[in-house]
Amino acid sequence: MRNYIVLPAYCEEKVIKKVIESIKKEGYNNIIVVDDGSSDNTYKEAKLTGVIVLKHPINRGKGAATQTGIDAAKLLNADIIVTMDSDGQHNPKDIKKLIQPILDGKADVVIGSRMLNTKGMPKSRIVMNKIANIVTYIFFGILVSDSQSGFRAYNKKAYTSVYTYMDRYEFESEMLGQIKNAKLKIKEVPIKVIYTDYSKNKYKHMNTFPAQGLTNGFKMIARLIESSLFK
Amino acid sequence: MVIQIVVTIGVVLFILPNIYSSYKKKNLTTFGALLWLFFWLVGLVIIWFPELIGLIGEFMGVERSIDALVYIAIVYLLYASLRQKISINELSKEITLLSRKLALKDIKNDKRK
Repeated sequence: MRNYIVLPAYCEEKVIKKVIESIKKEGYNNIIVVDDGSSDNTYKEAKLTGVIVLKHPINRGKGAATQTGIDAAKLLNADIIVTMDSDGQHNPKDIKKLIQPILDGKADVVIGSRMLNTKGMPKSRIVMNKIANIVTYIFFGILVSDSQSGFRAYNKKAYTSVYTYMDRYEFESEMLGQIKNAKLKIKEVPIKVIYTDYSKNKYKHMNTFPAQGLTNGFKMIARLIESSLFK
Repeated sequence: MVIQIVVTIGVVLFILPNIYSSYKKKNLTTFGALLWLFFWLVGLVIIWFPELIGLIGEFMGVERSIDALVYIAIVYLLYASLRQKISINELSKEITLLSRKLALKDIKNDKRK
């Protein structure tokens, strides 16, 4: 069974090595890092670990980097693809939880949901996730508890049926719409998110990679609305 | 009457095919295409039945005809902005696909070997 872990990464030189090693420790050695045009040493640091490292020449956003990683895993004939964040927010021990429903034939896509257990999650994040869930439902017709979770597992049927065009964070919603249209079986499992000082603070210094906070959440929603007009 | 015919021909020959081809090229969603179709059809109706503007103007409290020019300018600016948005979206999509192609080059080459 070839399981590939896809890590879209942007300016994660401080943690990328640690994140890769922690995934390897859980027994997953097929790891694809997509350096999304980082201005720091993310590419070099990831390369040192011996995993597959791809590089976007310029920053295109998390959605674009994730799709590149999925394409790479597809080329390598993966059986299951797991996408997760590269800042250490996701616990590699949860990978097993995500893969199991696929192995049992109970799901084609499994979403690691932060909203099934919100303990320790910043309130602004909870509110934004709820708004994003509603917006996702309005525009893509699918309601899940955590539409913005990047911790997901796809079987072959799923990853060959979806292809996202949205470059930034709203691609998670676009993907859900495609999952619904392809009539794929979807399951959500609770995951524990590790909010470190690093993950909480890193976006404060970056203007090009919006992710957290209400303003960026609203930007994402605006892009979702815009995407209903343009392809 | 001449102006109405010229504008109608212009819309039918240029604008509507433009909307259709943008939709076919997947630059517009079904919703977006229908919205623009509706917009231009409403425009045609107003051009052929200008008294409707008077009614609308009366309803909205617009009485000076100069205001109509301002409205036309706003509509043109909206249209120009839409064209730009479509063009930027296309470029952005192409840049992403190019970046992806470059990133995947090594894996594809390894596979060929």
